[in-house]
Amino acid sequence: MSYRPRPTFDQPTAESVQRTRRASIWIIPALILQQTTLIFGLHGDEFSQFLQAICWTALNIAELWWLLGLPFRWLSERDQAILNDEWSRSVSGDAARWGIATAALVGCAMMIARIWLRLDSGVAIFALVNSTLLVAAARSWWLDRGEPDGDE
Amino acid sequence: MAMNEKLGNRLKERRGELGLTQGELAEICLVSRKTVNTVENGIFVPSTLLALKLAQALNVPVEQLFWIER
Repeated sequence: MSYRPRPTFDQPTAESVQRTRRASIWIIPALILQQTTLIFGLHGDEFSQFLQAICWTALNIAELWWLLGLPFRWLSERDQAILNDEWSRSVSGDAARWGIATAALVGCAMMIARIWLRLDSGVAIFALVNSTLLVAAARSWWLDRGEPDGDE
Repeated sequence: MAMNEKLGNRLKERRGELGLTQGELAEICLVSRKTVNTVENGIFVPSTLLALKLAQALNVPVEQLFWIER
């Protein structure tokens, strides 16, 4: 039984959208798996596909590890706090979202393009990974540019 | 927070009263100077935890440091 009036019951709120965003982290491995399977599915022999899949996965893990601000255990507690402070997390989180969105969009574009074009898997990986990294880096730079009204 | 609402603060004023730089305040709260700077300039809305840390560091109740501007 709900005590909220029915007309507003199903309306999304800022909090519910934020909760959904946080809970949608499981999409990341699904996205990587999907891209890996579909892009590598058609080209090369089994061994090269296997190697490419390992490289692709390792690269994505490294990228996500960096972008999602996971702890660097060799740093001091103070350095970790600075690195993972709120502004850094906000910037890296936003940049990661842009990067993931780029990966999804470029992946989709490649899937559609291969209907007409024969895609080389090496070029496809290069384009996908680098476009993702470039967009994430550009977004990070854009958000982190300049410091207004500093006192030091 | 609605689109026309903004988090106001008197962080800079209070920091000035205590003679603290952004860097020193950041050091106390274990965040970067950029975080303090962006909160001060209304670019970044701090978490409850950081707002409380800032208020504690500046020795004022949090509601005297932050408020909603409409």
